[in-house]
Amino acid sequence: MSDAPGSPERLALLGFGDRARAALADRQLHVALDRTTAQFGSRRLAALATLDDADAVRDRARATKMDALRGLGDALRMFERRLTENGARVHWAETDADANRIVVDIARQAGVRRVVKGKTMVSEETHLNGALEGAGLEVVETDLGEYIVQLGHDRPSHIIAPIVHMTREQVGRLMHERLQVPYSDDTETLARYARERLRAAFLRADMGITGANFGVVENGAICLVTNEGNGRMVTTLPRVHVVMMGIEKLVPTMADLDRFLKLLARSATGQKLTAYTTLLRGPRRTGEDGGPDDMHVVILDNGRSSILAGETAEILGCIRCGACLNACPVYKNIGGHAYGAVYMGPVGAIVTPGIRGIEQAAELPGASSLCGACREVCPIRLDIPRMLLALRSAAVRLTPQPIALRLGLKAFARIASRPSVYRAAMSAMRRVLRARARDGWITRAPGLAAGWTRFRDFKAPAAQTFEQQWRARSTARRSS
Amino acid sequence: MAAARVLERLGFEVVVPDGLTCCGQPAYNAGFQDDARLVVRHTLRVLAATDGPIVIPSGSCADMLTHQYVELLKDDPEDLERARRLAARCREFSQFVAENGGMDLAARLKARVAYHPSCHLLRGLGVRDQPRALLRAIDGVESAPFADQEECCGFGGLFSIKNAEISGSMLDRKLHAIAASGADRLVSCDLGCLMHLEGGLRRRGAAIKTQHLAELIDEAIT
Amino acid sequence: MARPVDCEEIVVSDARTAILDRIDRALKTARIPVVSAGARGVQPGEFGPSGTLIDRFVAEARALGVEAFVEGSPDAVRARLALLTDGRRVLAWNPDRLPYGADAVVSGAARGSSPRDEQAAADVGVTGCHGAIAETGSLALLSLPGCPRAASLLPPLHVALVRPDNFFFGMGDFFEARTDQIAAASNCTFVTGPSRTADIELSLTIGVHGPARVIVIVGP
Repeated sequence: MSDAPGSPERLALLGFGDRARAALADRQLHVALDRTTAQFGSRRLAALATLDDADAVRDRARATKMDALRGLGDALRMFERRLTENGARVHWAETDADANRIVVDIARQAGVRRVVKGKTMVSEETHLNGALEGAGLEVVETDLGEYIVQLGHDRPSHIIAPIVHMTREQVGRLMHERLQVPYSDDTETLARYARERLRAAFLRADMGITGANFGVVENGAICLVTNEGNGRMVTTLPRVHVVMMGIEKLVPTMADLDRFLKLLARSATGQKLTAYTTLLRGPRRTGEDGGPDDMHVVILDNGRSSILAGETAEILGCIRCGACLNACPVYKNIGGHAYGAVYMGPVGAIVTPGIRGIEQAAELPGASSLCGACREVCPIRLDIPRMLLALRSAAVRLTPQPIALRLGLKAFARIASRPSVYRAAMSAMRRVLRARARDGWITRAPGLAAGWTRFRDFKAPAAQTFEQQWRARSTARRSS
Repeated sequence: MAAARVLERLGFEVVVPDGLTCCGQPAYNAGFQDDARLVVRHTLRVLAATDGPIVIPSGSCADMLTHQYVELLKDDPEDLERARRLAARCREFSQFVAENGGMDLAARLKARVAYHPSCHLLRGLGVRDQPRALLRAIDGVESAPFADQEECCGFGGLFSIKNAEISGSMLDRKLHAIAASGADRLVSCDLGCLMHLEGGLRRRGAAIKTQHLAELIDEAIT
Repeated sequence: MARPVDCEEIVVSDARTAILDRIDRALKTARIPVVSAGARGVQPGEFGPSGTLIDRFVAEARALGVEAFVEGSPDAVRARLALLTDGRRVLAWNPDRLPYGADAVVSGAARGSSPRDEQAAADVGVTGCHGAIAETGSLALLSLPGCPRAASLLPPLHVALVRPDNFFFGMGDFFEARTDQIAAASNCTFVTGPSRTADIELSLTIGVHGPARVIVIVGP
């Protein structure tokens, strides 16, 4: 079993609560998160300030994505037609296992031995690397963060920046151990180590695999948004290129793409545009130099159509910028691995129950104070709190709840809809609490409420309720 | 009581309807929508029998009545209509006071005040400036800004118990920032946040006094 | 217009049918908010004569760490290019794809048709460009015949020669004005500065897999 913090084996053994507690106790994680999360917010704001009327762009982008979802079936049919006209082969995968099987088959039929990968969360979702390696293929992650994740047998902890959970010292130690290079904690040196190794991998690879940030329906273009150049390398040098994308990545036109590109990098990294924005229209054309001979696009469902059918459909509009993670106070405190899922943070708390079923991920929607920071920073204003509440309701209907909680809330509901009962119950509770209090405060509570007093004192209620004080005063006034 | 006194000072007649219990948020937030609806329908009935603005001295309750009642009752046309009418009458306390003469109360108090904007108030209701404006309007009040001022304090209702450690960690950050601000008072417009922050301050033995904005204003006009 | 080598029929697989069916059914119960966002879309910015666009482009490019030179004559362009390429191995676009007679300076360069090892060994990549986007300081490069992608990717230094009629304000303007040209190429890449990463502690490192240095020479 790998001892890396994010290793699937380790995480699978724990529930969310345990993972969160472990994360809160992890000093190194806190150093890493503190060094990074503080920067996200200001970068995003500064970048949006350079956009002429950012609110209008966001509103329009939201409308576009919602319309696109409403017409998703036809959009996919059209997109497939255009992709085929461009010379790409289109494959449809219902599940993660299907997607992996398709990619392995493509590799086998093309006689592929060496695969290089650009960063794609979809391949994390399907656990593609394991399937490829199981089929005897050499797989190298080429995004720096993913490369380091691969070196450490770890999992990414952020949608955009896979190793925010690692300090530079940890990265240096890892490279020193696994690559036999001199230890360094200088980030430029560490990046250089990776660059030297990966250059050879790019030049020798037979197949490149990427995701797709967007698919443009009107012309079948696949858009990749990257900074390092690895995305370009893996789509230029190997003879086969495979794109893995979810069904929901479509935008209708190039003009729409322009709008989303104005929002994505600004929201994700605080740049106007990343270093490379690449549009792919199929494999290499006659007369062109460089580029794959064959291009395949694997379109993946894996639970997205179920998400589309319900209350959380709008989450499919997510453009994977990561802004919600950066703004989330829970994420800032526990990091990404604690979520125990491929997608983490606010968007992960909604997508994961969709992909796995609420029964398998019931704790995630509850891991939020519903502060709404996510909705505020989301470029297309996805109503994440509303969707979290909808999932909590689904969890109550479909998964076992602690009996004390269920009975307690049922009792409270019946009491709170009957004023005289409510007054009596509250009165009784006040007496109990005031009796327990010392100097008006309770410092230790029993049972379920112990969670409160572990971190805070609890103020005992006043002798009289507001209503009692109010009535007393009104009576006093009337009689004076 | 402080809220009521402030409203009366502004010249309003304050009516406290008989039979009000709870806005229903705890059950709703926990996902127990059917149970929440029992409470919601009761509250709706009591308030619908009154008229005029409904002033709510708690940001999260105000958000519940303004935005969530219509969501919960969306499948019942009659209730939905009543919920819409109710929502139109709702005003959170600082919102109402600022819009109805609260800036001209001739209030006076010497204090260095850290203001915590509660999430439902700030992002749910969009009430950003009114509380700060009311504080500025008090002669002698100095504002004490602090780092990550708009970040959630970690209360989140039942979140504070179900995810107690995360809640505690969020509380730590908030109190750490407030301590560094040099404030002698901490003010907020949400009862949940106040319970959580005040409880945390007391556990740490901090000297900062915690008040609802209404209590501070009440003190400043007495 | 170049067409792809093979144009294949759409394969109707069980998976395809199942997925599209599920989507069609899902849309009956999907909760998708209705959003009204006024008729106003994103309008291209107002811009004046070419001179203004070039100034904006140069400012944006420099902010990214791109070195930008504006030269007054083809001679000056070639002289600038010579300074950057003399004594170094060059990978270049084909002669007819380079403006200002620039090929005279890099006539011995490796081309897109050269062996990969030779291309990978180049110190400098020399290209023209198909669009220069002023709003973001980006270069639009299409993979048309004679315009190898590798020239702006493999070498550690990329030099791009830009003509005044290449300038556009925004990416959307380029899309609109050059639709046919874009459709003719399998790849359109917008290069916005040198390659970079911030994966380690969000600390910026310039020059990862793509060029670490980008230089733009704008001619008359």
